[in-house]
Amino acid sequence: MSRDDQGSEGGEGDQVLVAEFALGLLDAGEHERAGRRIAAHPLLRRDYRLWRLRLGALDHEFAETAPPADLFHRIEARLFPAPAAARGGFWQSLGFWRGVAAACFAVAVIAVGVDLAPRPPLTGPELVAALEAEGSNVKFVAFYDQAAGTVRLAALSGAAVPDKDFELWAIQGKNAPVSMGVVPVSGKVDMPMPATVKQTFGAGTVLAVTLEQKGGSPTGAPQGPIVASGTATAI
Amino acid sequence: MSQSTADIADLIARTALKDRAAFRDLYGRTSAKLFGVTLRILRDRGEAEEALQEVYVKIWQRADRYAAGGYSPISWLVAVARNHSLDVLRARRPLADDIDVALDIADSGPDPEAAAIGKGERGRIDECLGELEGDKAEAVRGAYLDGFSYDELAARFNVPLNTMRTWLRRSLIKLRECLSA
Repeated sequence: MSRDDQGSEGGEGDQVLVAEFALGLLDAGEHERAGRRIAAHPLLRRDYRLWRLRLGALDHEFAETAPPADLFHRIEARLFPAPAAARGGFWQSLGFWRGVAAACFAVAVIAVGVDLAPRPPLTGPELVAALEAEGSNVKFVAFYDQAAGTVRLAALSGAAVPDKDFELWAIQGKNAPVSMGVVPVSGKVDMPMPATVKQTFGAGTVLAVTLEQKGGSPTGAPQGPIVASGTATAI
Repeated sequence: MSQSTADIADLIARTALKDRAAFRDLYGRTSAKLFGVTLRILRDRGEAEEALQEVYVKIWQRADRYAAGGYSPISWLVAVARNHSLDVLRARRPLADDIDVALDIADSGPDPEAAAIGKGERGRIDECLGELEGDKAEAVRGAYLDGFSYDELAARFNVPLNTMRTWLRRSLIKLRECLSA
């Protein structure tokens, strides 16, 4: 007799079939046919439920093991390929950065406008970024000095936080943020660019400032909240 | 239902409503357990990581199916991870001989309806496995926890494949009687 969805259900053969299905002992074709048969028959469904409930009591024997730290990011990238803005996932979220950058662009033009006095002939695109974030009074303007290979950072507003430091990061595409060092919250400073950042720095690179423990993040990855960020834009 | 069980049920419900923050929390609270499942069954870290990604993609897509059924939320999640891992294993195993696997379907038999939801909710499994001979209980556990096939079980217990099939099936009938008693 066929094991497909015909014949009466509930005999010993079916009982074994349901148990084998629940344990996962059947091969692909059998498993698929058994699944259809069980789905079609309420009594078999009930039997399957019994197995599931009882066998579930063994679940505590699966030992917990932490998956790699970036795995959730990979899952989000699969599920939300466009601008992903899952709350808390902003470090991984390109959409977040683009959104912040767009909001900052107008500020960049205004802030930089006052400084657009005569300049030497351009050797490449001039890049600027305005760094700010909602809910934060910390604001910077950044200029890219291609010849010197530095980013000049000018603090526009904000105050130092006791026992904390501000740290500058460069984010290129989907890469992890690269630290450019701790920055003062007043005056101007020229930040040398790490070689990895320099190679690909250009319009679209995001600069961000986070609040970190004294001396900067100990892990090489940002730990604290973003207090300002913006995208490098050609002018 | 314990507080953390209720919390996980709530996170699944919110995930079903496409709440990404809830999904993230759910991942944070349950991924170590589900990684334990994919790792134990697949026995390969890379494959287990890949499987875990697919498991959470399924959870995101199918969270609305967690509802009736009375499973605890963590059991439901473990089942998603376990079933997916077994699918991965099955996809690379040769097909068994259908004739060998085929079973008679009796025209009449004990009515499972009366027996299906027997006494006790959980915890009977250890008691009932205890009533099986040692090797047979181990084989059932190996199938459930490690995803061993009949072939692998036969090799592990050093018996011919058909012998393993015969005595495991007898054990399952006995186990079912005990579980639904």
